Formats: sequence, C-alpha cells, structure tokens
Amino acid sequence: MKAAVILRQVPDVVEELVIAEDGRSLSEDDVMYITNELDEHALEQALLLKARHTGTVTAIGLGGDAARDALATSVAKGADEAVFVPIDFAARGDNCVLSAHLAAALKAGGYDVVLTGVYATDQLDAGLGGLLAARLGIPYVGGLSGVQLDAGGRKAVVHKEYPGGRLGVMEVDLPAVLGIQSAEQPPRYVPVSKVMQARRTLRVKELKGPLPQVAGVTVRKLLKPESSAHAKMLEGDEDAVAGQIVNLVKERGLL
Amino acid sequence: MQAEAKSMGVEGGKGVDATKAFLGRLSLLPDGDRIAACIQCGMCSGSCPVGYAMDINPRMMIAKLRAGRVDDLYRSSSIWLCVACFNCTYRCPSNIPITDRLIASLREELLAGGVGVPPELQAAFEKTARYGNPFGESPKKRDAWTKEAGVEVPVLEPGDSADVLWWVGCFGSYNKRNRKDTIALARLLDVLGVDFGILGTDEWCSGDLRCTSQGEEGLFDALYRHNTAQLSKRKYKEVLVGDPHAFNALSKEYKRLGTPLKVRHYTQFLAERAPELRRLMKQTMQAKVTYHDACCLGRRNNEYEAPRIVLETIPGIRLVDMPRNRENALCCGGGGGANWLDSFIWERTRVPLPVQRVQEAAKTGADILAVSCPLEIPRFDDAIKTSGLEGRLRVREVSEMAAEAMGLSGARVA
Repeated sequence: MKAAVILRQVPDVVEELVIAEDGRSLSEDDVMYITNELDEHALEQALLLKARHTGTVTAIGLGGDAARDALATSVAKGADEAVFVPIDFAARGDNCVLSAHLAAALKAGGYDVVLTGVYATDQLDAGLGGLLAARLGIPYVGGLSGVQLDAGGRKAVVHKEYPGGRLGVMEVDLPAVLGIQSAEQPPRYVPVSKVMQARRTLRVKELKGPLPQVAGVTVRKLLKPESSAHAKMLEGDEDAVAGQIVNLVKERGLL
Repeated sequence: MQAEAKSMGVEGGKGVDATKAFLGRLSLLPDGDRIAACIQCGMCSGSCPVGYAMDINPRMMIAKLRAGRVDDLYRSSSIWLCVACFNCTYRCPSNIPITDRLIASLREELLAGGVGVPPELQAAFEKTARYGNPFGESPKKRDAWTKEAGVEVPVLEPGDSADVLWWVGCFGSYNKRNRKDTIALARLLDVLGVDFGILGTDEWCSGDLRCTSQGEEGLFDALYRHNTAQLSKRKYKEVLVGDPHAFNALSKEYKRLGTPLKVRHYTQFLAERAPELRRLMKQTMQAKVTYHDACCLGRRNNEYEAPRIVLETIPGIRLVDMPRNRENALCCGGGGGANWLDSFIWERTRVPLPVQRVQEAAKTGADILAVSCPLEIPRFDDAIKTSGLEGRLRVREVSEMAAEAMGLSGARVA
C-alpha cells in the first residue's frame, strides 16, 4: 500500500484574523498557522492503514515554513517520506490552483490512495480531493469516517457519513482520492522530544516550480461578520419572565 | 519453579530488558535510585487518596519493577490516576520520590512507548506546545488582563529591569475565575510600592508538567528553554509566583537544569510584609475562614505558615483548621495533570476529591475556604456548586481577600 496525505497550513483562528489593507486578503503578518484539522485526521487514517497493511505513507506539506514543522510532526508520528510544497500565502485557499500544481507529482508517485481532509478551513472553492481526482482521472469519495483496503489492494471499502446520522458503506476502485471527515480514532499524540528529533533529522523533498495559471476564484472583498440584532434579556422573577414570554408569543402570532 | 519464575518475568522475561532500561533512566534523576531502598511497607498506597481505585498501587508498581515487569504497568490505568498530592512522597520512610520521579518517569515511558495518553491530557499537551498555555488561548492575549488591573503593570521588555519579576502563570493570566485574584495581587504590589514587572507575552507555561508528573519531558524542556532565554534578557532580584506549581518548577527544576533563580510564592512575599499589610488594612472582614493547604506548596515545598500569616493580618477574620490540615491536607485533585484528567479519574473513583474537600471545609462552619493555588478556585468553586453548598461557603484566593480588606477591590480604570 502506498499512501499520500496532503497537509495544508491554514490560519489558526485562536489568533484574531486581520483583514489586510487591500480589503480582500488576510494580513499575513498577523496570521499564525496550523495544520488543517481534517488533514490531521487524513494522516491518522493513513497511519492506521499502514499499521494494517505493509506500506508507506508520504506526507505532503503545503504552505510556508510552518509546513516543514508539520512534516516533522508527521514523520515523528510514523510517516515514511516528507514532501514540502511551498505555496504563496495568497494562493493557499485556491483548490483549483493547488490541484493543478500537485497532480503531476501525485501521478508520478504511483500512490494507491491519496488522503486529504474533506475540506480546509480557508478554502475558497470546492474540496481539494474532488478537483485532484478529476485531474488524475481517478475516483473520489469524501466525507469518510473509515477506510479498509481489500487484501489485493485493488479496492477500498469506505464508510461515508450522511446527514441525520446515516452511514453509507461503499466500495471504491483504487487508486482513488479519499476525503476524510474523521479518522477511525482521534489523531495520535507524539511526544515533543520525538518531534524535535524528527525536526533535526528531517529530510524533505521539495516540489519546486511556479504555480500554474488556471481559472479559479477571485476574492473581491473580505468582511468581518457584523452583529445585527441583539438578544433581548428578559428581566424579573420567574412569574414576570413567564408573563413576558406569553406576551411575546401572542404579539408575534407564534401560536 | 524455574519455569514459573520465567513466566513471571523474573528471569529473562521479555520485560526484563525494558525494566532495566527504565530503572537506568530513573536512576539518573535526583534520588531516582532510592527506589532500591523500598521496604514494601505500603505506606504510599495506604495514604494515596485514590489508591483504592488503582489496580496497581504505588507499592505494587515498585514490586513489578523489581520483578522485571514494567510492561505490566503499560496496561494499567493507575499511572494516570495520580493527582500529585505528594502524600506518598511525604510519608515514605525510605524517602523515595514516588510522585516526582517514579510516576513521572512511568508516564514518560508510556508516552515514549506510544501507549498514549488520556485524550483530555493530550489536548492540554498539544495546546501547551502550540500556544504556551494549556487552554489553547492566544499567546498574544497573555497580558490582556493588565488592561483591567486599574494599576500600572509594567511589562518588562528585553533589557529592562525591576526588583521583582512577577511570574503570572497560565491560570492567573487567562482563566476568568482567576483573573480577579491576579488583579488583586497587582494592586497589592502597587500599594506596597514594589518595583515589579511581568514578562507579558514572552512568558509561557512554566512547564510544571514534567515535575507534576505528567511525563512530557520534551515539552518541559522546550518550555524551559524558551522561558530561561526570556528570563536571561531581563534583570531582577527575585521571581514572584502566584501558582505553587510554577513555584516548584522555577525553584527546583529550572535550578536542576542549570538556571538557579530566587523564587518566592506570593504568600511568602506578603507574609514578610505582614506588619505593613496590617497597617494598610482598612476594613474588617467578619468571617470564619478555613485555609486549604495546597499540596504543591505544603507537602511538596514545606510552606504551611505563610498563607496563614497573611490571612491573620486581615482584621475581623477567625481562622479555623479543617481536621485534615497542613501535611495531612486532602488534595483538591488537580495536580500532576489531573486537572485535565477529571473525567478519566471520575470514571474510576466516582467521589471527586474537591467535593470531599469542600464538605470538610463546610463542616468547620467556615464561610470562606481560603486558597493559595489558582487551580483550586475553579475546582472548589465547581465542587461547592455540585455539593449544594452555594450560599454557605465561598472559595477565595488569599491575595484577593487581603486586597479587599485593604479597600483595593472593585472595577477601576488605569
């Protein structure tokens, strides 16, 4: 089994996001990066597959220098190979560009499965997985919460989550791109000492070259959510509050 | 007999090498080799407040290690039940550092061996590694509380100096229920005319992780390196800390790793100024007060009197002790990472320690449960609510009580 996992660096919303002066992008200086949460799940799922079948996991880190740290963590967790793909800050949320940029390398890698989070918190357009599969001419299925490979490595049986708590079990021909919603277990913990060790000895391949010019989405304006209507607090004791609720229901014709 | 011995791992079992390697690592730590002096008396296990819920109690842990069976411990949840109360360490007749070294090293072993860590604690580790605090709060907002302090709280930039460098700590900086106490201490320092400053956003978690036996040594080292680099860029005569766990890390572990610091807990700092505090007191506080000895300040660092001295400066209060006080105090259950293991421990014990402790406090007839460790504010506050003691008993930090009696409470603008 040969698996590739795509790990994207996205803005960490623990820090306040600041809109840049141009009014249509984030101020890069104020951004702290974090690996897209669902991509962490994709890595965990790949490592679980590796534990069940003999094989290798290639971690592909997209972004700036923070992506290198994410690759070191991936290797500390058990990834076999690390590929760094430098992406300009402005292009990171554009999955049309990312898929066009990655397709050739993924094809050349000969992976049985390419896993990635079903969405990224900064994505502008459709999910990366589907766009990648279209470029590679292979199947895509997303929203997955479990993956099993058959013994011959020709097919995968995947669990797909549907709204309302329904679960679909389906078969997909390999090679395929899989969009992970959640791994079968929460992403594992790796002690800091192991990450540090991996950082010191990390060897990354780098995917160089300019980003392709493809038709995509252009951001025209970025706005912060505005609070409009405020909640009205009902004051008084229980009887007074109950009376006010009854009046509100009557006034608004809710019954 | 020989075959049986083999199957037990006494001779040549597969755990023997792993056990030897583990004991080798343990012996490199201060007093780590004292484990050899264990007389298997069971004092540790008998005095452990959660020992009854352990499948392998501390005495058995040592017996397992002697039998070459460290791998048995991998399968036990006992290692994660330790709340770092230091009863075992304090009472061990052979002076074995059970909490700080044995339990910590076992946790490290589990982490390094990929056995994993309970999920809540894992999240705290990840957040501390990433943000420098276990809550996952923005590192940039660490000193945001200073805006509400109502007095000037100087942030020392590299090259700056002050007599006292105040180590605010994660709970004191971020936790809503602790911030009022942090502000109270800022106002106390201000009114006492202390030349002080804080590290601001350059302060990260002190990393008591390793020493409160959470076992993430790599994380502790990373925090230690960051913090000592920041400390070395400022000049100060002493470090003042609000959190007993930071007190322990900075005074003992940082020293062990090559950074000796003069560190005092705020109650020690204030107790030294008791006559001055007394002169500044403006209001009487008609209250019966019982003081809870924080494990990390008491049993672990032998400080029982300073908080009581500060409380006694407050006019009107009457101090009463709970039956279990000083070296016999019952733990709040939050040490050693247990603050992030509450549900894990509850599933196995069902009687939370903070609930037991607030009931003890209520039985004294006290109106106020005074504390000197920030973890105890949210822990006891919640326990008071779940025990139905709301309205009868309040948990309050010593600093905040002193500030109130000096007329320093209430909202203020700087």
